[in-house]
Amino acid sequence: MTELILQALYSGLLQGGSYALIALGLALVFGAMRVINLAQGELVLLAAYIAYSVESGLGLNPVLAIPIALVVVCLTSAIVYAVVSRIKKDREINSLILTYGIGVILTNGMLLIWKADIRSTSSEWLQEAFVLGPFYSMRSEVLFFGVSLLMMAALWWWLSRSWYGRAVRAVSSNRDAAKLMGINPGYTELVSFIVAGILASFAGVALFSYGVISPAYGGVLTVKAFIITVLAGVGSIPGVLIGAVLLGVAEALTVTLASSALQELAGMGLFLLVLFIMPNGLFGLRARRG
Amino acid sequence: MTNKYQGLRRLALLATMTTALAAGMSSAAADELKVGVEIPLTGSLARVGSGMQEGINVAADVFNKTNGKHKIKLVTIDDESAPAKAIAAVEKLAGEGVLAITGGYGSNNIAPAADAAGKAGLVYVTSGGVDDNLVGSGRKNFFRINNVAGYQKAMVGLLEDMNARSVAIVYSTKEATAALAKDLEKAWGAKGLKVSSHAFDPAISDFKPIINKIKLQDKPEVIAMIGYENDYVGILRAARVLKPAVKAMVGVWSLATPKMAQDFPDLVPNVYGTALLPFPAQFTTADGKLFEETYRRLYKKDPDYLGQFGYVQSMLLFEAIARAADKGTLKKDGVAEEMRKTDRDTLIGRVQFGANGDNLNFTHHMGQHQGDKVAIVWPKAAATNKMNYPAVPW
Repeated sequence: MTELILQALYSGLLQGGSYALIALGLALVFGAMRVINLAQGELVLLAAYIAYSVESGLGLNPVLAIPIALVVVCLTSAIVYAVVSRIKKDREINSLILTYGIGVILTNGMLLIWKADIRSTSSEWLQEAFVLGPFYSMRSEVLFFGVSLLMMAALWWWLSRSWYGRAVRAVSSNRDAAKLMGINPGYTELVSFIVAGILASFAGVALFSYGVISPAYGGVLTVKAFIITVLAGVGSIPGVLIGAVLLGVAEALTVTLASSALQELAGMGLFLLVLFIMPNGLFGLRARRG
Repeated sequence: MTNKYQGLRRLALLATMTTALAAGMSSAAADELKVGVEIPLTGSLARVGSGMQEGINVAADVFNKTNGKHKIKLVTIDDESAPAKAIAAVEKLAGEGVLAITGGYGSNNIAPAADAAGKAGLVYVTSGGVDDNLVGSGRKNFFRINNVAGYQKAMVGLLEDMNARSVAIVYSTKEATAALAKDLEKAWGAKGLKVSSHAFDPAISDFKPIINKIKLQDKPEVIAMIGYENDYVGILRAARVLKPAVKAMVGVWSLATPKMAQDFPDLVPNVYGTALLPFPAQFTTADGKLFEETYRRLYKKDPDYLGQFGYVQSMLLFEAIARAADKGTLKKDGVAEEMRKTDRDTLIGRVQFGANGDNLNFTHHMGQHQGDKVAIVWPKAAATNKMNYPAVPW
């Protein structure tokens, strides 16, 4: 049993890392603009399909798709911003519907280009077992868990140390006050969308390297990201990591100790429990003060 | 009346007569029988839906070339893999005056769609849903050419031939997969096998915790996977990492296919799945050769089992419609009546429909990925090669 639980914790930790990478983009845009970008999952998927094309079309390792994914996904993310920013002063529900619509367009676009077949990497190197004592995983999972931690550290540094990062936080805290300080909110919001695109690019390539993708999968990713963002508390980077790992571990433990049929229920249960006890999420208050 | 006006009247009369004649001719030539196709071409079932649609199109092409008197015209609507859309599609097709519906994939979508077809008085024929409730709920004009019993016979028969003593079932909680898993659990249990079962949510992406449980706790000889393509990829990948000491990996539909061999060559070697056709396909009957030839002409590839199912269900329907048209009973429940009278050898074996619309004779075959081919390994009578056993992909 100990062996089972240890493996579940390890699997949950790695799974949480990938969830975090997906959720960070959503959290960042929500923090900066109060827009829940329901197309974030599709942006992740777009990067995953670029990785697939690089592997199947050029015969290269899908990890090498990252630079192309960065250009295409960031550009798409900027276009999403350009559309959303035109109506964001209206009711929040409008931006929600709009991003959902953009997600549907992206899904259908991917369906047209890559068809409905499920795709997954055929790279032996990425799928190779990585064994660390009693822990088993794929090499790609460990690789992208590391990438995930690096991305979070970079994001934290960017938000707390760089001028643009501070500007994003200022706009997130008080848009009008930030304006008075000479910060252009529109520009910082665009930067947030582009950074969210960068995160989605890495998340997508990671997803393709150890998971299965299909055009309809974007919605599932967005829901996971949304749960983690709310669980973490708006605007908290460490909160996203902890929330994502908690979700991953809760799911893996549920599979191991109860039934895998209850995995999604466990995630939702954790989400409701945290919201019931801490309505602002795990790190909501701290984030607002920070 | 001046000559000028008389000329105009004659011209108008001639134009009217010509139009009427043309209309009459077109209605005489167009003994066109409109058939609705409600099928998932987008969404989670798009892959399998597209495969079935290819077979349906092949059936229409073959029928139209071999039955001079009647022509089938297909009207296709994508149900987007969603029950509500499936109902809307059937209602729209009924509104467009189709004589019957073929298609459908996923028991969850087929049930409401078949109900909508029933309300419109239309026959609904499918091979895309194996849930027994589809035929057990009193649907009057519902017909199905495959069923869970046929899959069960094949899975049970294969493990019997393997002399397996224990099996761990990993199954999706979707209706059809859960129903098959429960039936197999009973059937294998009754045959004295040690059975353990693990249900999984269809949204799950990491199967390592389940496979680890199987590896450390169950220690079975065989892992049986009851799911869909994305599930198989996840399970096989997790098994490749954890390497449980099993002798065989066995799955059901959408697994022993050329598509899986082509897309996941590293994951599927030695894996078993239900398959009516070996790959490369081999057809010996005239009907089979015609199907294969037309399929290759239309799609420039080898036919697979999805196309084969789509072809058989649709050809039986087209033939029933043609018979009803000949008897003048199209508007009097004639299509359903002719479907009930069906007794025909087809590419999937003899088809006869019971009172509930289910095919009485359906038995599936089991295939195994061997190299870049899929060999039929069960039943022995239909086998194209011996099974590799014990053998796993890693």
